[in-house]
Amino acid sequence: MSRPGIRDSLGAEALRAKGTRDSARGIRDSGFGTRKAITTIVVLLCALVTSVRAQVSYARLLKAESDPQNWLTYAGSYKSHRYSGLDQINRRNVSSLKLAWAYQIQRAGIIETSPLVVDGVMYLSEPPSTVTALDVRSGRPLWTYSPNIPPDVIVIGSPPVNRGVAILDDLVYVGTVHGHLIALDSKSGTVRWDIVVGDNKQGYYLTLAPLALDGKVVVGVSGAETGIRGFVDAYDAKIGKLAWRTYTIPAPGEPGFETWGKGSGWQTGGGSTWLTGSFDPELNLLYWATGNPAPDWNADNRPGDNLYTDAVLAIDPSNGKIKWHFQFTPEDVHDWDSNETMVLFEAQIGGRERKLLAQANRNGFYYVLDRATGEFVTGAPYAKQTWADGLDAKGRPIRKKGIAPSLEGTLVFPNIQGASNWFSPSYSPQTKLFYQAAREMGTIYYKGAAVYKPGTAFTGGGGRYVNGDDASGAIRALDATTGKMKWEFPLLSPGWTSVLSTAGGLVFGGSEEGNFFALDAETGKPLWDTQIGGAVRGIPMSYGVDGKQYVAIAAGFTLFVFAL
Amino acid sequence: MRVVLLGLALATAMPALAAAQGANDVAEGKKLFTGLCVTCHGFDGAGGAGPPLNRPRLLSAPDDASLRNIIAEGIPNRGMPRVRRVTDDEMRQLVAYVRSIGKSARAVARGDAARGGQLYAKLGCVSCHIISGNGGSLGPELTNIGWIRGADYLRQAVLEPAARLPQGNLPIPARGYNEYLPVTVVLRDGAEVRGIRLNEDVFTIQIRDTTGKFHSVRKSDAAVVRKETGSSLMPSYANRLAAGEIDDLVAYLSRLGGAL
Repeated sequence: MSRPGIRDSLGAEALRAKGTRDSARGIRDSGFGTRKAITTIVVLLCALVTSVRAQVSYARLLKAESDPQNWLTYAGSYKSHRYSGLDQINRRNVSSLKLAWAYQIQRAGIIETSPLVVDGVMYLSEPPSTVTALDVRSGRPLWTYSPNIPPDVIVIGSPPVNRGVAILDDLVYVGTVHGHLIALDSKSGTVRWDIVVGDNKQGYYLTLAPLALDGKVVVGVSGAETGIRGFVDAYDAKIGKLAWRTYTIPAPGEPGFETWGKGSGWQTGGGSTWLTGSFDPELNLLYWATGNPAPDWNADNRPGDNLYTDAVLAIDPSNGKIKWHFQFTPEDVHDWDSNETMVLFEAQIGGRERKLLAQANRNGFYYVLDRATGEFVTGAPYAKQTWADGLDAKGRPIRKKGIAPSLEGTLVFPNIQGASNWFSPSYSPQTKLFYQAAREMGTIYYKGAAVYKPGTAFTGGGGRYVNGDDASGAIRALDATTGKMKWEFPLLSPGWTSVLSTAGGLVFGGSEEGNFFALDAETGKPLWDTQIGGAVRGIPMSYGVDGKQYVAIAAGFTLFVFAL
Repeated sequence: MRVVLLGLALATAMPALAAAQGANDVAEGKKLFTGLCVTCHGFDGAGGAGPPLNRPRLLSAPDDASLRNIIAEGIPNRGMPRVRRVTDDEMRQLVAYVRSIGKSARAVARGDAARGGQLYAKLGCVSCHIISGNGGSLGPELTNIGWIRGADYLRQAVLEPAARLPQGNLPIPARGYNEYLPVTVVLRDGAEVRGIRLNEDVFTIQIRDTTGKFHSVRKSDAAVVRKETGSSLMPSYANRLAAGEIDDLVAYLSRLGGAL
């Protein structure tokens, strides 16, 4: 058989799903039957659908890795590996990959999302905050939901995008650019509850995929470019009631407050929480990373390390308490948010099995931390950087002189959007490699004045790219434990591509120029590529149905799904 | 409506503010301009890869409101970035300075534009450049070049065409990429193609050769793909024209797109 990965997991679910489809065909064929007959069939069909669509329980989310037909969380699992256990599409046959279907979004915008797939249904978020359910076999929409976004919505700091949804039991969760968290009925797209997470008039907005835990749904906020005070929130998943809120900037009297100087800078200090965290159920620790201090490029009113900006917080999900923190870029003046996806993995270090957390940070360094304690294990640059002479024994950067933004402009690598950013890395348990798209570009950074006015830009400067032929990108494979590069696949320009690794020994990625390709996960050799006509900003994922593996990627205004 | 009223309010308030803060705003604005704008618009706004601003009338910014809008939002399809979000004070200072250079200086290129026009015809520039619909298409269109580029940039383009290739402002090929970049491709069968890059992605490159013929090349089919950064298909006229003739040609080019 040529479908090793699918064969093993082609269980009852797939067969049941097939039954459903046959029933649907039955209706179509029945033509103009009696009303009663149709009603009977519809009732039967509803019963079938109910039995097929098992609830996405917390227990199921915990075992997402062993259910590769489905893609149940933003990054594929709580460990954020963005790795598919399916191997039907593999090194030997990927050259025959073909388009299965495509879906065009309803309103022009940038697609930066990772779809979920649950039991035959794909949940896709569209810009700015729309959710659409699609038939994974045909691409036909089943329902769509768009919140009422006010025309004067404030979105400062990123385009008005959405990066994905979460699912728990029968609810689909979406964060919106007007600062809401909305729970939708997974079968119909009807609103079950709708709450305000942050006041959009102050600049709070949501772009991230929420993370569903045991009875809770966790979100962070965007908005540091308007001088918000960031936080992580957990809500009761059933009713949307706030369970806890953890601010990323300590208040007076709390540890870390002394890192903000004597003024009121902490109140407008940023520290957004705009990308989905990772979770270790055994340690019962939720890892949530934080963004830049505000104002971005001018630290005059915030002298000090500015805890807990540009950091990772290990949070007890039962009460929101911070168990440990690690700060990547103290007193940041380059807008190097540290929200990048954190990969959880285990490895032998010094003869001892360690539970680790890895991140390719926007500041150009790859970090490995002990995720039980927050202890720095190792760190090394994975992209060109000109701002630090390395990291000290505790992982703190050794800053060079003359790298601060200035009135006349200061050229520094990495660029203002970072060596990495929101786009997802991937970790393959097969190869033990950490795959990351790196952006090789400098920026001329300017320092400017910053005046706080709620809901307006509070950035204190900016930057000009050194782009074009002087910039480039690459997909890099790093030894996850050491950060040492094993191979790289060069890209023409610094991209925004996420990567997906699979049990078929492949790494999927894209380019700004519209290439979508598969690389050999061991060597980086390109094995297949196609041109899909728009910058690849979607986040690739894979699923299986009816014994067939699919790979999904969005580019331009379209979601493309490929299969053999 | 609210926007219009706000605009009117600002417009009526601005002269009073400018009178009070006048000279200081211009001085502060010059500092900001020197950091943010000179790379494209030249020192004192004399122009470069970006248009000169030392003109009494700016084509895209006839009034202060439109100038503020351009500074705040950029003109993405023309290469003008929104380099950063400026504060209200910084905006006022920048506008004051840009208006001051428009009043104080006029960019008059040395030379005789009419004689420059005759030189343009005599040198055969028309074989590679289009002006008002006439000419060849190997090089960039020059119909509005006097509005788009400063005199110094045009002079450099005549003397050292390879020194600073135009950078793309449009999504195709891609913003910031060199346009008219010469490339040489040697295919595995030994065939060689030389021309300018029209576009490129990770796996392919599109080339127009000097005869105007289009070539599509898959990079894995080529033994060599050489991007000739630092060269240009346009010859230098440094040794073919006298200093006065160069002035005349630059004066002619500077006036293309409308009288100064």
